[in-house]
Amino acid sequence: MQFVIEHLSKHFEKKEVLRDVNFSFESGNIYGLLGRNGAGKTTLFNCLNRDLKADGGRFFLVENGGEREVLAEDIGYVLSTPTVPEFLTGREFLKFFMDINEKTIQNPKTIDEYFDFMSIEREDRDKLLKDYSHGMKNKMQMLVNIIANPNVLLLDEPLTSLDVVVAEEMKGLLRSLKKDRVTIFSTHIMDLALDLCDEIVLLNHGVLEVVDKANLDSEEFKDKIIQALKEEEHE
Amino acid sequence: MNKTLRISFALRNTYRVNSILFSLKQIPLLKKLLPNRLYQVHGLKVFANVLSVLWEIISVFLGKGLYFLIMIVGIGALYQKVPADRLFLHILLFLTSVGSFANTYMFNPTKDKYYAMILMRMNAREYTLVNYTYAILKVIVGFLPFSLLFGLAAGVPLPLCILIPFFVAGFKMTIALIQLTDYEKRGIIPNENKLSKYAWIGILVLLAAAYGLPALGITVPVSAAAVVMGIVIVLGIVSIWKIKTFSFYQEMNKEILRDSMNQMDKVKEVQKEQSNRLISGDTSIKSSRKGFEYLNELFMKRHQKILWKASKRVAFVSLILVLGALLLFYLAPEIRDKTNELILTYLPYFVFIMYAINRGTGFTNALFMNCDHSLLTYSFYKQPGFVLKLFQIRLREIIKVNLLPAAVIGGGLSMLLFASGGTDNPWNYAALIVSILCMSMFFSVHYLTIYYLLQPYNAGTEMKSGTYQIVLSVTYVVCFLFMRLRMSTLLFGALTIVFCVAYSVAACVLVYFLAPKTFRLRT
Repeated sequence: MQFVIEHLSKHFEKKEVLRDVNFSFESGNIYGLLGRNGAGKTTLFNCLNRDLKADGGRFFLVENGGEREVLAEDIGYVLSTPTVPEFLTGREFLKFFMDINEKTIQNPKTIDEYFDFMSIEREDRDKLLKDYSHGMKNKMQMLVNIIANPNVLLLDEPLTSLDVVVAEEMKGLLRSLKKDRVTIFSTHIMDLALDLCDEIVLLNHGVLEVVDKANLDSEEFKDKIIQALKEEEHE
Repeated sequence: MNKTLRISFALRNTYRVNSILFSLKQIPLLKKLLPNRLYQVHGLKVFANVLSVLWEIISVFLGKGLYFLIMIVGIGALYQKVPADRLFLHILLFLTSVGSFANTYMFNPTKDKYYAMILMRMNAREYTLVNYTYAILKVIVGFLPFSLLFGLAAGVPLPLCILIPFFVAGFKMTIALIQLTDYEKRGIIPNENKLSKYAWIGILVLLAAAYGLPALGITVPVSAAAVVMGIVIVLGIVSIWKIKTFSFYQEMNKEILRDSMNQMDKVKEVQKEQSNRLISGDTSIKSSRKGFEYLNELFMKRHQKILWKASKRVAFVSLILVLGALLLFYLAPEIRDKTNELILTYLPYFVFIMYAINRGTGFTNALFMNCDHSLLTYSFYKQPGFVLKLFQIRLREIIKVNLLPAAVIGGGLSMLLFASGGTDNPWNYAALIVSILCMSMFFSVHYLTIYYLLQPYNAGTEMKSGTYQIVLSVTYVVCFLFMRLRMSTLLFGALTIVFCVAYSVAACVLVYFLAPKTFRLRT
């Protein structure tokens, strides 16, 4: 499967945030999306998640040689600040989610199996989500997105505010999930991107471009990325 | 000194100008015309600056004028038997003593102070002295024309009229002297926005003295008032020395501003906490339903406090009022005719009452803050079928919540109509009940529809839609205007029923076609 973006553009009044975004993402890969502050990473995600109407261009999935439109359930979007319905308990949230998606969830497990999978402690499972810690809310958000099994998983700075243990767990999780889906991971932390991602993609001046690692070692690769981000600025 | 004054002015002016520009940018249509760089546009800046300076000048006089007009002369007009000059000075004396500690400037945590002393790190002593002087001058200049105008009209001697502004200023400064000295000794600082229990008792006692004593025929003699004013003015002059030499302005202001600092930096967190507090922590709340009904049932049960409980309370109060009216009919049969006439012509009044008791905005607010705000970030939740399904469930729930008080009010009204002598046309009973129920349904549909069509918040729970706010205000104004309408109950009832049903159908059709596109987070 491929996730293809063609000529996507978006401007706010006179500011062109996305100029002409063209890219073809291959399933099975984690893409690290790097860009400077204000480069438009979140805008790109919002357009792909249809929270924001793009001005032009389109995006679609290519499966078995045929194109098809991206449906709401194809996209999973994990925000940097986790948002969960505060008035439900963790268990209730999962039950509700599984209820309404029962037709699309393949090989559903029991709720406790999912909790075990995310290492959410027993005593926390029946607490209201408003009393969850930041890391636990993040795990819940991730878990729901994992169960939904979307073809495209968008992650907006998901690991930045997690403690080291949870962050490490999440990294392992993302690696184990990358098969059969496109994962796009936006971050400001270069080392994280290099460590986790198969490809580095830059968003600069409204266009996406891949940085070819070729046979550079990681220091040289880093320099190349920094140079690319800096050079664009002087254009 | 001069520079400090200039900077504080410029600072205040800048954020005022920016708030004016910001609010212009919130108005639909206008916001499309205004460029994003509007904060740089010279012409607009000049315009906003003019507004801001005008406001500064108006604010010197407006409040004081209203104060005299309403609090002293207006209420004073109710006392017929007391000499006007004595009454004027009497009320002024006691109200001024309330103002001396409840409206100090010195101990008021304002945004200006926060920006200047905390964010911009201006010298606290200099800032306070310069701005305090300015505030006191504003008091004197603002009071003078009105103390002359209203004082002379009440027959107060001219010299006293001229002294009044200095008396008011002197009183504030005397209290400042006392409180600053107290701070030096005990380290306790009063915050004018969080008055202590004793201060509130003091206010009540002084208000009672201001308005209660004249009712008993007791007022302060003019000569005594003159002596008090003289003493306070002298004390005020003495306090200048203390205010000038006080050396802990930095510490004091930090303390006064501590709470507002937290509030300003954490507006969102405070908001979040408030909406979280609405969620019941009762662990026995369960649901045996499935899917969206499950979500809805848990939501309704955990938000009892603001939904069902509030609506039951309104229903209960309405019931008591109806029973009370029935009792009155029994005790004083002569009011029956009048009531009968009122019920048959004042139905439009109930538009406003039904507006006021509707739980719609509370419901949509809670829906967003505690539920949709988070769930709308998940794409499964935004599938068109699900959006509509949930809309139906919610519509049913909000109509149910509002129907209880409506039924009590509608039923109560027709019962009162019957008990007050009845009517020739029995359709009136039906019109009362059905139209009140329809109004209640209308408001429920209205609020939920505009919420689904204009979903006004972004992921950070900030209100982003000017249109939404305008629709809410228009709703208010229209309902308010209905209070002025007089129409026979039968006619108005019938019109209401037709309108409400037509509106509800139209609204649901609109939601059906548009909501899957409009019901998402703003960005």
